[in-house]
Amino acid sequence: MHIIIWIIAGALLPWFPFSWIFNRLLVSAPGAWARALAVIVLPQLGLLLLLKSGAWLILGQEMPQALRALALFTAILYAYRAAGTRDVQIWARFMGTSGLSLTWLLIGLLPGHWGVQLFALAWSIPAALMLVWAGILTRKTGGSYLGLTGGFARVLPRLSVLMSLTALAATATPVFPNFFALLEAMESLPLIWMPLLLLVLLLWGWTVGRFLQDLLFGIYHGESLHDLSVGGTWLGGLALGIFALVGLFWGGIWIIN
Amino acid sequence: MGELAIIIPFLPVLSALIIFVFMHKARKAAARISVFLTLLTFLLALVELATYALGGFSRVEIIGTLWGSVWLDPLTLIMWSFVCGISLLVHMYSVRYMVEEANYTRFFALLDLMTATILFMVSAADLITFLVAWFMVGVVLYFLLGHDTDRPAAGRYAFWTQITYRAGDVPLWLAAFVLIRTYHSISLPDIFERLQMHPHVPAFWGLSVPELVGFLLAFAAFARSAQFLLHGWLPYTMDGPTPVSALMHAGIVNAGGFMFNRFFPVFEHASIVLHFVFIVGLITAVVGSAMMLIQNDVKRSLGYSTMGQMGFMVMECGVGAFALAVFHLIAHGFFKASLFLGAGNIIGEAREHDGVPSDPVYTSIVERRPAKPSRLPWLAAAALTIIVPVVVLSLSHLFVSTRLLHEQGVIILLFFGWVTGAQALFATHKMTHTNPWRLMGGILGSFVLVVIGYTLISHYFGHFLYPHGEAYQLYNAASINSLYFDILVILLALFFVGAWALTFFADSSGWWDRADQGRWRGVYLALYALLSRELYVNDLYARMTQILVQGARRINVLLRWC
Repeated sequence: MHIIIWIIAGALLPWFPFSWIFNRLLVSAPGAWARALAVIVLPQLGLLLLLKSGAWLILGQEMPQALRALALFTAILYAYRAAGTRDVQIWARFMGTSGLSLTWLLIGLLPGHWGVQLFALAWSIPAALMLVWAGILTRKTGGSYLGLTGGFARVLPRLSVLMSLTALAATATPVFPNFFALLEAMESLPLIWMPLLLLVLLLWGWTVGRFLQDLLFGIYHGESLHDLSVGGTWLGGLALGIFALVGLFWGGIWIIN
Repeated sequence: MGELAIIIPFLPVLSALIIFVFMHKARKAAARISVFLTLLTFLLALVELATYALGGFSRVEIIGTLWGSVWLDPLTLIMWSFVCGISLLVHMYSVRYMVEEANYTRFFALLDLMTATILFMVSAADLITFLVAWFMVGVVLYFLLGHDTDRPAAGRYAFWTQITYRAGDVPLWLAAFVLIRTYHSISLPDIFERLQMHPHVPAFWGLSVPELVGFLLAFAAFARSAQFLLHGWLPYTMDGPTPVSALMHAGIVNAGGFMFNRFFPVFEHASIVLHFVFIVGLITAVVGSAMMLIQNDVKRSLGYSTMGQMGFMVMECGVGAFALAVFHLIAHGFFKASLFLGAGNIIGEAREHDGVPSDPVYTSIVERRPAKPSRLPWLAAAALTIIVPVVVLSLSHLFVSTRLLHEQGVIILLFFGWVTGAQALFATHKMTHTNPWRLMGGILGSFVLVVIGYTLISHYFGHFLYPHGEAYQLYNAASINSLYFDILVILLALFFVGAWALTFFADSSGWWDRADQGRWRGVYLALYALLSRELYVNDLYARMTQILVQGARRINVLLRWC
């Protein structure tokens, strides 16, 4: 019984190889908004399943080393795979998967379950936002692939700014909440495991660097494009601003805990 | 005074916010606001420094509730004044230099953000603030270097910088967590106090906590200060706008030297790390200077010069002269900023005028040679070259403090001073001149002035920075066995004197001309190719990246992109 619960939970709150199902579910969602919603809801359902089934308590008593290793392996694998893609939608899925898999490290370690759920949200929100931007980019250019044209900073300056900031938010850049979430994950891990988590951080840095390079730089040669509306930009900026403010005010609590 | 100090790092943040939100299209107003607030920040920083110098004391001011604090100690106050000074110069220069560039207002906002981030970094009193600021320097710098998004090269080199910085962030995170877990605090003053009480807590692989943390911090510093093997990004930051190059080479790249000083209590108990740091700094200084000599691009040449200077700065830390490293980074910052800002104008001028004179009078002046070229007698030149720097350097240090001459770190620095001074005199001797004694006299006079000025200023500066005698503890930590040390110094001195003698005789007997025709030419060309390809370090990294990306794509295809 427990094994089935763990497999289902692994498909919702991704760890390899069931992270494949998680990604498949996201791909099959109809439209960008549905994918964004799914990347927020599925991990929360996974956590709820663990909580209700009692698996949470088992993990809280003693986290199996294999599970810890698997969570870190998933984070490393998907961060590495994100470096090999130039499609914004796939990039957002992979980065979301990489960050969300770290949630497994905290289950049972934080007092109560709210901290863990918020930890998962810290990774879901930037992934969801990026999936929305990918949808808008697809509507404007016919796809969210960055390898053909590039140079969007000049032709889509507003959308590029939002995408750049979201990419930074997805890769644990201060002062977004997942920077502090990552600190929390570090605090909870035995020191010997920490280099693996730092490898994830390094891979994220590499990945986001490649992403921004493809997105911003170069001269655009395609058809003329209409940028995101001013209202849409303010809305997106507001969402990111609130996300950053939450990180600033809330970050310290994680550190002290 | 406390409130005033807390305002300082927030002023540039305020400027950036005003520009981002309200002055997106008001180019002139944005530049004015930015320059004005930077000037104000600079003046306030000077006021804080003066207040401390007139009898203030070190203290910590808390900004946040759980993290976020500034440490108002001499190091912070000096760095604040220095950073604001450089930033003000760069701001003022950019007002006209960047006027024809796109995204003019964004550029100023990013400059302000960068200033604020560095101010937070140098004043952080807790590890979380330090990590946040340290991390953000890399992020903001990426966007400053990639200001011109039309040029793919700008993006490529900004990425090189960003990934090297991230590679340096990793050991810093680990060091921070080792400290937090060992000493159960995020406050730097608390951690350092506890570290002094329990310095020999064991960590891994037979290393104590200070030694492990020292190694990790050193690696983080190496990435920021472009030490050998992590230096590839530095010369290519020239593809960014010239004011950013100036800020980068005058201020940001000095972060390594700052970090050694901020965490000096760790290094007091980590002798082995200091020896390692010395070796890395020495290699970087030699490689950077060698690379500089073969560049034909003025900005790239300055870039490698910075690498060499950073090597020297790190080497100073390796011999325990931490305060001297801060003095060095400030002196280097100001002269490198002026060189870069000057280079920008010269390049612009050269683009407009090719510089080939059509005037025959000019040509005759350029090609004019002294009527009766002569040199000093070689014995007199050799005596001056070897003895004068030793006498001047030793007397100046003796005048300041006799104790200094018993410290190995000081002897090493004196040794380098001697080599540099003697090299300058030797090069002067090689020049032909109508009045060689006058030429040598001028050089000697300048040398004496520089040495005495440098010795006095650096001594009093060191005393200001480390008023409780910490400097001597750091010298002790960096010391090695006296016998080995003496042998090393004698061998090195013989090596340099031998090399000078060989160069002198090879020069006078026409050996170089003969060697140029023979088999040595192949060796020379191979060496030149190696240096001109920058030791293939960047090629190696590019190939590694290619392999890694190909691997990631294969996995993605295998797993059907899910």
